[in-house]
Amino acid sequence: MSRLRFSLHAAGVLAPGLASLDALLDAARRGTPLTLSGDPLALPAPSALPPNERRRASRAVRLALACVEQAVADTPFDVSTLRSVFATDEGTGEVCQQMLETLATTRQVSPLVFPNSVHNAPSGYFSIAHRNRQPATVVSLGEDSFASGLLCALTEARATGEPVLLVAYDPALTTPLDELLPLREPLGTAWVLSATDTPVQGPVLGRGELIVAPAGDSPAAPWRPAWLPEAWTHHSSARALAALGLLAAPAGSALTLPLGGLHLTLTLRPAA
Amino acid sequence: MLALTATTVVHPAGCGLDTLWTAAAHSRSGLQPNPLDWCTLDAWLGAVPGVDEVPLPEPLAAWDCRNHRLVWMALQDTVFVQAVREAVARHGAHRVGLVLGTSTSGIRSTEIAYAQRHASGCWPEGFDLRRSHTGDALARFTAEVLKVAGPMATLSTACSSSAKVFLTAQRWIEAGLIDAAIVGGADSLCLSTLHGFDSLQLLSPRLCRPFDATREGISIGEAAGFALLERGKGEVHFVAGGESSDAHHMSTPHPEGLGAAQAMRAALDAAGLTPSDIGYVNAHGTATPANDRSEAAALVSVFGERGVPVSSTKGITGHTLGACGIVEALITAEALRHQQLPPSANLLRPDPDLPLDLVTAARDTKLQYAMSNNFGFGGSNCTLILGRSN
Repeated sequence: MSRLRFSLHAAGVLAPGLASLDALLDAARRGTPLTLSGDPLALPAPSALPPNERRRASRAVRLALACVEQAVADTPFDVSTLRSVFATDEGTGEVCQQMLETLATTRQVSPLVFPNSVHNAPSGYFSIAHRNRQPATVVSLGEDSFASGLLCALTEARATGEPVLLVAYDPALTTPLDELLPLREPLGTAWVLSATDTPVQGPVLGRGELIVAPAGDSPAAPWRPAWLPEAWTHHSSARALAALGLLAAPAGSALTLPLGGLHLTLTLRPAA
Repeated sequence: MLALTATTVVHPAGCGLDTLWTAAAHSRSGLQPNPLDWCTLDAWLGAVPGVDEVPLPEPLAAWDCRNHRLVWMALQDTVFVQAVREAVARHGAHRVGLVLGTSTSGIRSTEIAYAQRHASGCWPEGFDLRRSHTGDALARFTAEVLKVAGPMATLSTACSSSAKVFLTAQRWIEAGLIDAAIVGGADSLCLSTLHGFDSLQLLSPRLCRPFDATREGISIGEAAGFALLERGKGEVHFVAGGESSDAHHMSTPHPEGLGAAQAMRAALDAAGLTPSDIGYVNAHGTATPANDRSEAAALVSVFGERGVPVSSTKGITGHTLGACGIVEALITAEALRHQQLPPSANLLRPDPDLPLDLVTAARDTKLQYAMSNNFGFGGSNCTLILGRSN
């Protein structure tokens, strides 16, 4: 068994019905299922990108960048100097569909679409938007993308002694790809984390611990709290929403997530 | 410092590291005019021989896709599989992690399925996106075959993917989460990358010629490769790596190679070495006009003009995209083991505008430390430093 202790310095949230961390904490405190309007989530154009790039930014890019900007707003963290880990399942949303449609028909792939089809397009645009030359890593592990990304971010913070930006997001897939992967709504979160062993300066929202242990024979307890819609069960980033919800949960609450043959058990309580 | 306890690879020039090294040392290219019956592009490609003839055995049949066939072929190496078994016996299955890289995973299966869905309105019977196309498929399939149960990640940062895996694994080992890690990656030929690079006019209609005055673009290849990393010194070890982002453009490298140079310097700092300690650089060397110019500028800024022997082995394997990190790390490891520098393949006339010490013929040398560079779309850069034990 291993333990990774960390501080959460800042967080941004963007999902239908959840426009901020405060909105998420309210929903978690209420505990009743979120009521969704059914309207598509408004995703702001990334103002930090040059105008040309801004127009071309896919919904996946807009989602990831909006979460980051929300997280670091009004904090002392300089977004141009943060190392980053992006965690996402399919990763590019409608761009993947556009590519497949083209390849099934004319095969005349657009030179503007192809670079947007790589998994690290949002992280690439993040670095361009914020002139950020620090390392950026992109983790994709299906429904366990958040679990794997959190482990990568915490071990990078520990190894470098620097804060790490973790962006866990799932853009929505369009039909017919959503028949195969039911990711029908965009969900995103951004976290600024540091390892307790190597503390950094800055405000602290929460103190957390990740316990890594063999799964044994018992399956992980269901991870989805009642306030999160059942339709988001297969979103890797809905697990990140549940994780932030621990800040509003009764003392002793934990979230257990599978990763390989392990269970990651996460606790996160508000900083005193 | 992490020993490369065991390795395995399949690549366009054949199966296994010996064939890869022999091909690299003798400039025997695995590239050929496009042999695919499902793609009409006028290009030279690196297809792994026999990949179409090796369906997965029955218990694993649900995972069948071109990418997993490459993985399966690589994992037929009994020495590698035995080394993993011994690591599992020594440390426990939960203490062996898995960090793999890919850019497109098994997307070729989705391309086929999507075309059928487009034509008939129905997905093919039994099509399983989760066990072929998504990023987790590669890690879960490999874990299933090798029976490891530690933490896992698939990294997808385009062409730096399977280089960055070394750094992630190193952090997991240093944090005490695991005692050993299987690192590597796989990428397979698919319409997405072939037509994608063609749309950017980066696909060479002829054999790719990295660092050549006449270079016209990349030749795409496919490969799968793995290394078992454990604490301590082996004959060859992973010393340290460095990473950076260009913050410049999604598909064009920084013209002066600022991000590339930053990754090389970060690797040197992490290794506690100076440029003069490095005896060889296996360049990213894709053979696009822009990459080779940018990388040369970065090499000059770190090592000085003609400051270190450099070659690109992509003329042998093609650009294996998400797999090039592991393939080229393994070639670099072989250079250290053989104390020999592999030449830059397919050179006709080295570009006179690139002030590099290009290795034009295999040569013997005394080599303690060597570097492998990989850069990808999104401005993702990674440099690995490998060393040989005294």
